[in-house]
Amino acid sequence: MIEHALLPKLCDQLRDGSISRREFIRFAALLGVAAGAAYAMAGLSAPAMADSTLPFPAAEPGAKRGGKLRIGEMVARMEDPATYGWNEMANQTRPILEYLTLVGPDNVVRPMLVESWKPSADLKTWTLQVRSGVMWHNGEELTAEHVAWNIRRWSDPALGSSNLGLSTFAALTEYSGEKDSKGQAVRRPLKNGVEVIDSHALRLNLAKPVLSVAEDCGEFCTLVVHPSFKPPLSRNPIGTGPYTLAELRVSDRCILKRITKTTDGRDFRYWGGEVYLDEIHFYHYEQENQTAALASGSVDAIYELPVEQIELARSIPGAKILSVETAQTLCCRMQVDVKPFNDIRVRRAVVKAADNAAIKKLVFGEHGLAASNFHVAPVHPEYFPLPPVARDVAGAKQLLREAGYDNGIDLEIVVGNNDGPWQQAACEALRDQVKEAGINLAVTVVPATKFWEIWRKVPFGATSWAHRPLGTMALAQAYRTGASWNESHFSDPEFDQALADAEATFDVAARKLKMQKVERILQDAAVVVQPMWRPVFILASVKVHGYQAHPARQMQLNKVWLS
Amino acid sequence: MGNLIVRRVAQMLLIMLTVSLLLFAIFDSDQFREKAAVAELGGFGVATLSDSDYHQWLEKKGLTAPFLSRYGRWLGAILHGDLGQSTEKDIEVSVLLRESLANTAILAFFVFLIMIPVSLTLGVLAGMNAGSPLDRVISIVAVFTTSIPQIATAVLLTVLLALGLGWVPAKSAMTDGWSFRALVLPLLTLLLYDIGYLVRMTRAAMTEVMASQYIRTAVLKGLPYRRVILRHALRNALIVPVTLIFLELNGLLSQVVVVEVFFQYAGFGRMLFDAANFGDIQVLQAATLVAVCVAVGSQLLSDAAYVVLNPRVRV
Amino acid sequence: MNSRVMMLLALVWLPLCAYVMFRPALGALGSYVLLPAIPAVIALYVLALRSWRESWVAILGVSLVCFWLLMAVSAPYLPLLDPNKPLVPLITPGGTGHGALFLLGSDMRGRDVLSRTIWGCQRVLVWGITATSVAYVVGAGGGLIGGYLGGWWDEFVSFAGNVLLSFPVMVLFILVLNLLGQSGFNIIIAVTCSSAPVIMRIVRGLALDAKSRDYIQAAQTRGEHPLWIMLVELLPNVRGPIIVDACLRLGYTTVAITTLTFLGLGLQPPDPDWGLMIKESATAALLWKYSYMLIAPALSVSSLILGFNLIADGLREMSARD
Repeated sequence: MIEHALLPKLCDQLRDGSISRREFIRFAALLGVAAGAAYAMAGLSAPAMADSTLPFPAAEPGAKRGGKLRIGEMVARMEDPATYGWNEMANQTRPILEYLTLVGPDNVVRPMLVESWKPSADLKTWTLQVRSGVMWHNGEELTAEHVAWNIRRWSDPALGSSNLGLSTFAALTEYSGEKDSKGQAVRRPLKNGVEVIDSHALRLNLAKPVLSVAEDCGEFCTLVVHPSFKPPLSRNPIGTGPYTLAELRVSDRCILKRITKTTDGRDFRYWGGEVYLDEIHFYHYEQENQTAALASGSVDAIYELPVEQIELARSIPGAKILSVETAQTLCCRMQVDVKPFNDIRVRRAVVKAADNAAIKKLVFGEHGLAASNFHVAPVHPEYFPLPPVARDVAGAKQLLREAGYDNGIDLEIVVGNNDGPWQQAACEALRDQVKEAGINLAVTVVPATKFWEIWRKVPFGATSWAHRPLGTMALAQAYRTGASWNESHFSDPEFDQALADAEATFDVAARKLKMQKVERILQDAAVVVQPMWRPVFILASVKVHGYQAHPARQMQLNKVWLS
Repeated sequence: MGNLIVRRVAQMLLIMLTVSLLLFAIFDSDQFREKAAVAELGGFGVATLSDSDYHQWLEKKGLTAPFLSRYGRWLGAILHGDLGQSTEKDIEVSVLLRESLANTAILAFFVFLIMIPVSLTLGVLAGMNAGSPLDRVISIVAVFTTSIPQIATAVLLTVLLALGLGWVPAKSAMTDGWSFRALVLPLLTLLLYDIGYLVRMTRAAMTEVMASQYIRTAVLKGLPYRRVILRHALRNALIVPVTLIFLELNGLLSQVVVVEVFFQYAGFGRMLFDAANFGDIQVLQAATLVAVCVAVGSQLLSDAAYVVLNPRVRV
Repeated sequence: MNSRVMMLLALVWLPLCAYVMFRPALGALGSYVLLPAIPAVIALYVLALRSWRESWVAILGVSLVCFWLLMAVSAPYLPLLDPNKPLVPLITPGGTGHGALFLLGSDMRGRDVLSRTIWGCQRVLVWGITATSVAYVVGAGGGLIGGYLGGWWDEFVSFAGNVLLSFPVMVLFILVLNLLGQSGFNIIIAVTCSSAPVIMRIVRGLALDAKSRDYIQAAQTRGEHPLWIMLVELLPNVRGPIIVDACLRLGYTTVAITTLTFLGLGLQPPDPDWGLMIKESATAALLWKYSYMLIAPALSVSSLILGFNLIADGLREMSARD
């Protein structure tokens, strides 16, 4: 494999200590270095993989075939993978459809349906090599044309896929120069963005340099479907995975069975090696009931263990708790163009009156990590540690006085608990803290479905942001001028410039320095109170082997087996 | 009697028409249309759609036609048996309704099976021996159990039976196929309240009858006590409880909402609750109409039973 | 019900309503408005003891209800910890912390359970009593209009009542609250929709029956205004069964409010409320050592409802004996 031009520089930085070994491994993998090799170069032993070319973990010795795995999660519909709204939809689909790349729990990206990727020196042209010998459920073989069809579909603005928020697919579009009825600029796909070179290779010609192509191809909405796909998926799921859909009843159950024959009668050969489970059953349980269901033995594993139920989980005999730190967080963001938040002194007062570490301790106890209001996490490779925001109630009061609120100020924060009641707990803790500075914060809880209707309109809202492997990804989607998920209406050309600069920089040390500037701008603008990075816990019976916790709650069940 | 039934059925149809019109009008607002869009495309999806695409989607779903024409179309569909499609669960409403009603009917069957003999017996015993220690105990227990809200009994029973002793599964989602053990918790929760209520009503009716003139006369005449009770007192005392049992059908539909939601039992109450939260209009309308049917039907049965059982009333 | 009792009831109910529903508008007055209610509750209790002396059932019931009323009006003045504030340095979240400081321990978020239980009864009592009263006013009004005026009024009011009665109660609550949003005032509307038709039927029946009585016809001959007749002549004569029904209905409404909050449709967090406490403890209480978090609110709400039920039973007993 031809080494990428930037790889030696990366090695140098590892040697002289300006990047950590974890960061090296991540970036090397992004550049197309096989994960095992990257680990070796870093001098670490790689987590045992089934095979150096496969992205799945190696099964433990004694793995047995057969069995039905019962999982308790909220069973959702399966319409169009590119427009999936919930993670549960993707979890039900992952045994059937697959990704181009797989992001593991260690945040390292590994090849799945594409077996290698090579960026040009300027990171604008990427050559993807499609894995050979991958069989579809209808007997055809996966070709580059199929992959190209999918990528073109994801980057088509008319489809409305959230994939457009990812840099890779956004970079495959351009402004057409027109404006729609809402006054927003209309985008259209680039003419020669996706180029098929031969039966198993394709090239992406991006409009801007993008580092995270491999990672973006592992995001939860980028499941690869057969070009004959028409929504809903549940009617005719044709994929490359080892399972097929036997039964789907929304809010009730979803049954997946292992495929042995293709639709035209031949034997189905799965490219990914040995798969152990015969059937995977998803049973619908509301989030708060999943632990109780496991305790009764109705299910063998659950989607997520909320932090309030950890004690209960510990008391269940024959169950094990798995956890992982994530970049998932709560953003209590203020809209910078709405009174009273348009006055930066008010925002700074709110930020100063809050005590992030105390909120984290209250909600997650010893787990999780405290954050410092700039939406880049320690698990991100380009994280630059800024000094934590110190609580300063007197300073907050002073700022309020300067802004003209001598007798305090009344604010309201809206929270939807879409990720769990911990969001409300955090807001209430915030309320108690800012009260001392004279800020009367009313916490308004709305049902989760209602929250999604108003989340971008409320002046002060608490939104849960999901885990993203790279720090720049969330910043690009949330704080860039005009980004579709810019709920705080933050717009600073200097910030945009610095962010674009950082995104285009591959050199890790230089990137971190650039991120320092980006982070500082965001932190100083006091746009958001972002108290912590939450951990994710899952619960499974000890009979279930190979079930790992993933920061984005992606279930990878191919190598799970039951004893 | 026949007159009563005909009048009641006519009234029921009129009420159902009014209710359906009301519901349709309520759910016709913009907020509910957008809710339906968000539900199907996701919050992000709706945001990224341009205005013209959103209108196109609405037209595709037929949500832009004028109110009366949509109502008329819906009414026609109902009369043909087509109740629409559930936007949340993506199956036909008639299928969903049939299955959830069947599940709730199974639960109701067992509730009535146990409740009727137990509460009538206890109530009669208490009423017969009014003032005795047996009566005191039964009355106190009855008034206690009707004072505890079913949510509290539900959680307590889960702690005791499911997690403490492990005899029954904690939730009734029937993941391993239908089993009676999974029904035990919702059954007990419903029974604890309903038996207490019916016992109190039966006891009150029984004491009133036992204190009445003709019973005392019969006893004084020297008729054997047991014959007095069985032939005369019971017949009169049970009028009110029997009519209440029919009304209990209606009350059960209410109680079953909480119990099914808590225990995740796939019945009518849970379907209604999910539909109301989600804004699944077709399901909500169909479910409400069914609920109205059951309510009026149970009132009708109750009144009919009263007429049949009470010799003094002739309609 | 003589004027003394009415005045005492008003003295208790009005400040409680003001305190719970309109506290921001009260400002500084808020800390004093409940003071007159405390002696009023005690006076009510004494009155009840005297007049219901013969029925120990009613005495027990009124003791329970007055206990909670007393707790509700004196909550701001008791030495309680803040019910909403987690006491983080003293106990960790999810902690149990029994001891001198926490008589009943703390809940999963570190808030004092005893304090939340006592503060919780305020909301339940206020919204429950207000909702039932409004339902009575509306229902009695409708019943009087229908029964006394007859004709088209009667048809219309009866039909409206029948439409509302055709819904199972929970279905009605869910529909109304989902439509109007979830707040205490909407609960009042929902309770009115479900209870008023029944009350209306009762009052209508009584009005129809009384219409033919002598004293009504005498008033008509005198030329009194129909409204005056309804309120002054008719209503006081039907009060016996109505009071019993009122107590039972208060019990039902309390259950309804608690259940609605449990389902997420009722009063909104964060302020303490028994239904909310039961909901929050529903998963934690699955562990034996945390079951106190459930037992405290469950016992409280059960005792309140028991109180109402016992009063109703006792009053019925007493009137049956007369």
